[in-house]
Amino acid sequence: MASIHLKNVGKRYPDGNRAVIDLNLDIADGDFMVLVGPSGCGKTTALRMVAGLEEISEGEIHLGGELINDVEPGKRDIAMVFQNYALYPHMSVFENIAFPLLSQGVPRAERRDRVERTAAVLGISDMLDRKPRTLSGGQRQRVAMGRAIVREPQAFLMDEPLSNLDAKLRVQMRSEISRIQAELGITTIYVTHDQVEAMTMGTRIAVMRKGVLQQEGSPEVIYGQPANLFVAAFIGSPGMNFVTAELSRRGDDLVLGIGPQELVLPPKTLAQRPALLEHESGSIVIGIRPEHLSLPPTDNSAKLKATVERSEMLGAERLLHVSISAKPVSADEIMEAAEEVSAAAPAMLQDGSKGDEVALIARIDPSIVPQPGSTVELGVGLDRLHFFDLESGRAVL
Amino acid sequence: MRDRYSRKTLIWEVLLLLLAIAFCLPLYLLVSISLKPPQELFTSPLTFPTDLHFENFSRAWQARNSGGMASAMISSVIITVGSVATLIVIGSLSAYAIARRPGKLSATLYTLFVIGIIVPFQLTVLPLFVLFRSLGLIGTYLGMIILWVGILTPLTVFLYTGFVRTIPRDYEEAARMDGAGLVRTYVQVVFPLLRPITGTVAILTGLFIWNDFFASLIFLGGSGRETLPVAIYSFVGEYLTQWNLVFAAVVIALAPLLVFFLIAQKQMIRGFSGGIRG
Ligand SMILES: Nc1ncnc2c1ncn2[C@@H]1O[C@H](COP(=O)(O)OP(=O)(O)OP(=O)(O)O)[C@@H](O)[C@H]1O
Ligand SMILES: [Mg+2]
Repeated sequence: MASIHLKNVGKRYPDGNRAVIDLNLDIADGDFMVLVGPSGCGKTTALRMVAGLEEISEGEIHLGGELINDVEPGKRDIAMVFQNYALYPHMSVFENIAFPLLSQGVPRAERRDRVERTAAVLGISDMLDRKPRTLSGGQRQRVAMGRAIVREPQAFLMDEPLSNLDAKLRVQMRSEISRIQAELGITTIYVTHDQVEAMTMGTRIAVMRKGVLQQEGSPEVIYGQPANLFVAAFIGSPGMNFVTAELSRRGDDLVLGIGPQELVLPPKTLAQRPALLEHESGSIVIGIRPEHLSLPPTDNSAKLKATVERSEMLGAERLLHVSISAKPVSADEIMEAAEEVSAAAPAMLQDGSKGDEVALIARIDPSIVPQPGSTVELGVGLDRLHFFDLESGRAVL
Repeated sequence: MRDRYSRKTLIWEVLLLLLAIAFCLPLYLLVSISLKPPQELFTSPLTFPTDLHFENFSRAWQARNSGGMASAMISSVIITVGSVATLIVIGSLSAYAIARRPGKLSATLYTLFVIGIIVPFQLTVLPLFVLFRSLGLIGTYLGMIILWVGILTPLTVFLYTGFVRTIPRDYEEAARMDGAGLVRTYVQVVFPLLRPITGTVAILTGLFIWNDFFASLIFLGGSGRETLPVAIYSFVGEYLTQWNLVFAAVVIALAPLLVFFLIAQKQMIRGFSGGIRG
């Protein structure tokens, strides 16, 4: 078990494509690091460079303090689980799991012993004689895990290992992988484009976009203090609400103009985010998580008038879709992040936010049933607002 | 829903049946004549034999010409098996290198092999014969095996290269991550994945070599190591009128092929349709 350090790592493919740009990551011993980002952002490339399957164009990768740039993949003592599992189809489950031990020259008796112990951990002891072809997706997944953990490697790499499973199995394997990783305490890099997987599995999350690391931190930090518009829009489901506001000063107070409505920011907010002053009397993007819009408003929260469009009953909560009159935000970052959630989302965003209307989503108590078309007053948690620079998309802190 | 068995289906079925019969006819003639007594041969060549003369087979087998059927069978087996095995080893290794190492060298080699498929063998016979004679390879098993490997490597490499390209690299990368060297990866992971195309190659080249008459006659004629087609041909001269024995000999020569076909059939079809399933 060992830490992994990426130092100014870059990848330039022969066709000139820069898939990873100046990537710095410190992954501590035992961490479960999730690399997340939209399709084509360079996650797989980064992972394969750590594995040694892809040449490192720039920078250094260290494993346990040792530079491994020029170490053969088989000598790095890193195990990898492939997206399609890559189980050898002509070998039995036993032979598949034993394969890495064979290469290491582990004696026969010990091999059998270790394969059987691994199979027991994964609950596949009764399938050792079967061929991968005869296994279900979840069982194959376990065998692939088994082949990785039987070696007791320094680190695990996994590239979207759950993407071939159905939704229910994915949830189950998610916690299973987390459990096994925690039990073994092996440093892990896990690649996914699914932000739910990232949030639920990772002890650390690194969000990437177009080859560039956007933010790295614990799930709490990534969710609660997104560093820019892209991270804010990418993490969370339903996603964060965005609206353009005019910031101005009135006396000692900062006032947010959202369309015709005004929210007065408490002095505390300014104290927490002194950089807001630089945006005084200018436009700024504010972000509100759906759970920070309340109905009915709590006593001391600010209030925002909105028109109810429709609501989605999810059981434990209700998603209330409303519209307010304000200027929508149409930054590329948000569109790209929305696209990852569903291909139709950008169109919906644009539709729902025509001209001077902005669509918002609030997470409310399911027992409240507002009528579509009616006007409601939503409570806004002012101390939970996120502010972003309109130009750079960076969080204003 | 309408009845799915329409008139069109019926016509198709009849046509296909006729086609199948047309394909079976030579085989029927071959087998039926091989079981007939000589007199019946000319009076009614097309009918089913009145009684089955299995002794034709033993007579054909025991005939002493060009070393006899038994010796010809041994020659055929040694040359075919030796050539096919060598072809599979050399062809799959070359194709693996060509398919997995992109670059000028691979592209050039591949083009060379494709040209090798196109060049007709007959063009090269004369220089080859002279060369083989000076090397003392005429009339030897080794010479024949070298000859066949040379002639058929281009086709083998062509078939293998196409197939290797359809195999996801993940298997090899997984083996690499698992610490397997190049040799272990090839022997334990890649070659088994090539099994369908190996079946195809074995059947195609095996048939070609087993049935060849021309090259065997030229390079083995008079050496006492003639293969089955040459031995059977020499039958024709010796037993000019005994076509039933000639046909019996052909049936004997066919038998090992049929057995091999039945065993490898499944593999071959998979090889033709390409791809593998995990
Ligand atoms: N062998 C290659 N040659 C050239 N460009 C490549 C190669 N492999 C990947 N790329 C490019 O590098 C970029 C990053 O690819 P990568 O596979 O790392 O993305 P990813 O984040 O894993 O995406 P996904 O979620 O779709 O798997 C993409 O723009 C891709 O087109
Ligand atoms: Mg990928």
